[in-house]
Amino acid sequence: MTNKKDHDESAEQTGITRRELLGGSVASAAVVGVGALAGAAGTAALMPGVAHASSSDNKAEVAPGDLDDYYGFWSSGQAGELRILGIPSMRELMRVPVFNRCSASGWGQTNESLKVLTDGLLPETKKFLESRGGTWDNGDLHHPHMSFTDGTYDGRYLFMNDKANTRVARVRCDVMKCDKIIEIPNASDIHGLRPQKYPRTGYVFANGEHRVPIPNDGSILDEPEKYHAIFTAIDGDKMEVAWQVMVDGNLDNCDADYQGLYAFSTCYNSEEGVTLAEMTANEQDWAIVFDIKRIEAAVKQGKFKKINGVPVVDGRKGSPYTRYIPVSNSPHGCNTAPDGRHVVINGKLSPTVSVIDVTKLPDLFNDKIKPRDAIVAEPELGLGPLHTAFDNKGNAYTTLFLDSQAVKWNIEKAIQAYQGKDVNPILHKVDVHYQPGHNHTSMGETKEADGKWLVSLNKFSKDRYINVGPMKPENEQLIDITGKKMKVVHDGPTYAEPHDCIIVRADIVNPNSIWDSMDPMWSDAIEQAKKDGVKLTKDSKIIRDGKKVRVYMTSAAPMFSMEKFTVKQGDEVTVYVSNQDKIDDLAHGFTIANYGVAMEVGPNATSSVTFTADRPGVHWFYCQWFCHALHMEMRGRMLVEPA
Amino acid sequence: MQVKETKPFRAIHLWVALIFLANFFGCFSVRAATIEVKPGPNALVNAILNAQPGDQLQLLSGIYSGKLVINKTLMITGQSGTIIRGDGAGHVITVSAPNVTIQSLTIENSGDQLSTEDSGIFLTKESTNSLIRNNFLRNNLIGIYLKGSENVVIRNNIISGRQYQRVNNRGNGVQIWNAPGAIIEDNKIEYGRDGIFVTTSHHNIFRNNHMTNLRYAIHYMYTHHSEVSGNLSTNNHIAYALMFSDYLKVNDNVSINDRDRGVLLNFVNYSNITNNRVQGIALQQINHPNVEESHITEKCIFFYNSNMNTVENNHFNGCEIGIHFTAGSQDNHIFGNAFINNRTQVKYVGTRHLEWSSEKRGNYWSDHPAFDLDDDNIADQSYRPNDLTDQLIWRHPIAKLLLNSPAMQVLRWAQSEFPGLHPGGIKDSFPLMTIPAQMDSVDG
Repeated sequence: MTNKKDHDESAEQTGITRRELLGGSVASAAVVGVGALAGAAGTAALMPGVAHASSSDNKAEVAPGDLDDYYGFWSSGQAGELRILGIPSMRELMRVPVFNRCSASGWGQTNESLKVLTDGLLPETKKFLESRGGTWDNGDLHHPHMSFTDGTYDGRYLFMNDKANTRVARVRCDVMKCDKIIEIPNASDIHGLRPQKYPRTGYVFANGEHRVPIPNDGSILDEPEKYHAIFTAIDGDKMEVAWQVMVDGNLDNCDADYQGLYAFSTCYNSEEGVTLAEMTANEQDWAIVFDIKRIEAAVKQGKFKKINGVPVVDGRKGSPYTRYIPVSNSPHGCNTAPDGRHVVINGKLSPTVSVIDVTKLPDLFNDKIKPRDAIVAEPELGLGPLHTAFDNKGNAYTTLFLDSQAVKWNIEKAIQAYQGKDVNPILHKVDVHYQPGHNHTSMGETKEADGKWLVSLNKFSKDRYINVGPMKPENEQLIDITGKKMKVVHDGPTYAEPHDCIIVRADIVNPNSIWDSMDPMWSDAIEQAKKDGVKLTKDSKIIRDGKKVRVYMTSAAPMFSMEKFTVKQGDEVTVYVSNQDKIDDLAHGFTIANYGVAMEVGPNATSSVTFTADRPGVHWFYCQWFCHALHMEMRGRMLVEPA
Repeated sequence: MQVKETKPFRAIHLWVALIFLANFFGCFSVRAATIEVKPGPNALVNAILNAQPGDQLQLLSGIYSGKLVINKTLMITGQSGTIIRGDGAGHVITVSAPNVTIQSLTIENSGDQLSTEDSGIFLTKESTNSLIRNNFLRNNLIGIYLKGSENVVIRNNIISGRQYQRVNNRGNGVQIWNAPGAIIEDNKIEYGRDGIFVTTSHHNIFRNNHMTNLRYAIHYMYTHHSEVSGNLSTNNHIAYALMFSDYLKVNDNVSINDRDRGVLLNFVNYSNITNNRVQGIALQQINHPNVEESHITEKCIFFYNSNMNTVENNHFNGCEIGIHFTAGSQDNHIFGNAFINNRTQVKYVGTRHLEWSSEKRGNYWSDHPAFDLDDDNIADQSYRPNDLTDQLIWRHPIAKLLLNSPAMQVLRWAQSEFPGLHPGGIKDSFPLMTIPAQMDSVDG
């Protein structure tokens, strides 16, 4: 057998690269010439240089100076942050720290962020974290989804899950900062998350993926039959748990209907197993349907157990609150179509998707039909269907993880085929690179789906880019879906590890350009300043309160209002910086050298940070967000007197 | 390259021998009785109740009620016309004891609930070393389900599923979960969902089975150290869908007239894919459901993110795509194969340069117009399936119409003069002039 080198010849070994020989444009020209020679029609389609020669006006290229048509809100998986992209350019515009510790913005260090990160933790977790710095530094953010009003995005909030530490966060869309994070009691590892679509959000539905004992205090350990999975409805306005439902099996992905009556979750572990073998044993798992009105009534009537301060309704098999619809082994994605009627349950280990018709659900809950009767189509799409997105023409786009394709299919035709008609619901398949997980269409999870763009979030890029070492980027591909056939028009590499995204029409999202100086984000600072007789936006003052020292200063490019301040070694120092520049894009920062302190101070915002000044000496503080021609000069000294 | 007999293969022979020995002693070392059973109300249930472990029940011709539970070591033998008939609910026969033999029976009419896995024969994890042979299983949801039982042999049965149901609502011919050491051989399986469905198992052998009119002939997940050999797949959607499994021997299998794929390898690693043959569907034979303009088998072999495999002496004939090779599959040894009359011989999606030959021996390419002046059966000119024309076809399928036009030939010539117009590609430096012969194993 020959060795590896003979088989995987590197580009260098061939000694020739394409650039050395013929430029792309020359090659294209040659092809066009040859095509013309052959007298064939459609020579333009043969030009490799033409990235998108489709007949539609859907242009993926956004020229310098031009604006995108859509916001893309991207998750980042284990990086723990939310990202904002422009679509269709796929340019990354912003990162919003949520569950992660962010060096640039001081998220996880500023008093304002620590309040968000810790206020919603359970008492037991707060205690657990006391010896661990007081907060989590990591998160696993999978599913970002916007708040709805009347079946479409309303631009108020984004909600997202943390699978790693069982939390749900909210980002305010007026400032694109996280303002609430709550830990979900009784559940373990929040995975699927979707907002209520109608009449408004309303509820945020969140799936506890892993089964655990309740309470999980060590009294039950290796007795998996005593574990439970919990479905949670969060009040998205108050960011409090409204109610929970205990279910059989586990909970994977979820979605809500367009009527405000039902929510849906997939379950891949109906076996309630704890090993891989056990979890794959059953021929069928199921989708769970939750009857929101019945659950609300039960909560009202006191038909629940209060566990860890929240009402928990028993929705296990046989209860009036849930129905379990059997689908083939290990379903995954759960997606409601913009037609308001159909819900697609994606098969994962079955090459099929199962389509639930929500108009059949009242009969199902009244036991007039059997669970499987709620299914109106079950097309075989290909290997490994994971998630489905939709256009405005009744078509669905499903990722095929194992085939590494996106498949376009028609819901109505799938229903006809299920009824026995000889029609083929599959319209087109396109290869994606490689192994897509989630996908999403522009406005596709709202009633305003517009059928312009599809993004396929691929788990592997393999050899798609120049090599950056053993760790490779993910690969997100933009697909034009305006034509009959899908067309991959852009490769977008991303770092760890977007799972899901949404694509929101730009006119819906209207963030402020500068902060309101009285924003509740720093209400504690406002309150403390009031007590200290300080006007945040004007004053530069040092308040000494025993060992506690509060330093109030403002910033206006290129100066901090204090050129120095003095504290004693061992003082607990809080620095408040209020940015007086009410100008677009004029953010300041505040970094204290060799003290590990750094934070962002947005235009017209106040940020604060507390630390112990236990290192005597001269410590320069400076502005780390570029602000001015004299940015380098924007600095001052913290003098720490030895004790 | 010499293909050596690998260790698992030898080990399996040993197990077979051990199983025979076990049966031998099971029959004769205990004072086993042979009991004749005649049809009658509860005749078989009572016979099982009264039998001692090791007894043989000889079932005379006639109909016996199903929902049997065989919970002790018995040999149950039918004769022509012996039928075990279920009542349309649950399993017809449940085996929950080791060393059970079920042979020469017709087993029919299980329940119809996939959620309870209603089967003709359902073997629980206690049913180790059992033997199911020479039976006819018909009109059951799942034919035979090995649920966790080790070292079971399923041999020479005919399993015919429920053609009248929607494919998704049908069960699999043989379903295997976590059943190491299973040997499934010489069976004929038709009209179910998948022929043999296996997940989360290992050390299994699927050999010399004929699977027809199914979704996938073999649907294979997460089953390491196993063998798929000598099988025949006809008229299925996919013949051999092998996924997430390492150390497989995939030899001497045949796929004829399967719709989507002959062989599908997805994260199959360290495996030996040798002497298999895929014959695509002839033009116009069926309406292809996936691609409207296409009426032939989509891919002879789909090679996806599969690594460190040897692919030798296979024939890939008459498909839309001979081989679709992608997702960074690396360190594979691909030589001695024949790619015959596929519309696109190779669809390579990747940016690496790969050489498909070994020890100066490449593959046969039916579209390679080369000479062999030195008469060594190696073409004088190397073969680059992924030249600019193939790249064009990959990006612009309509260009296929021009494939044999003078323009394309000019392009191909230009490509051969100036290689490397694109990043990456397949090169066979030693293309074979004639189709390498295959060992005859299965009659097509």
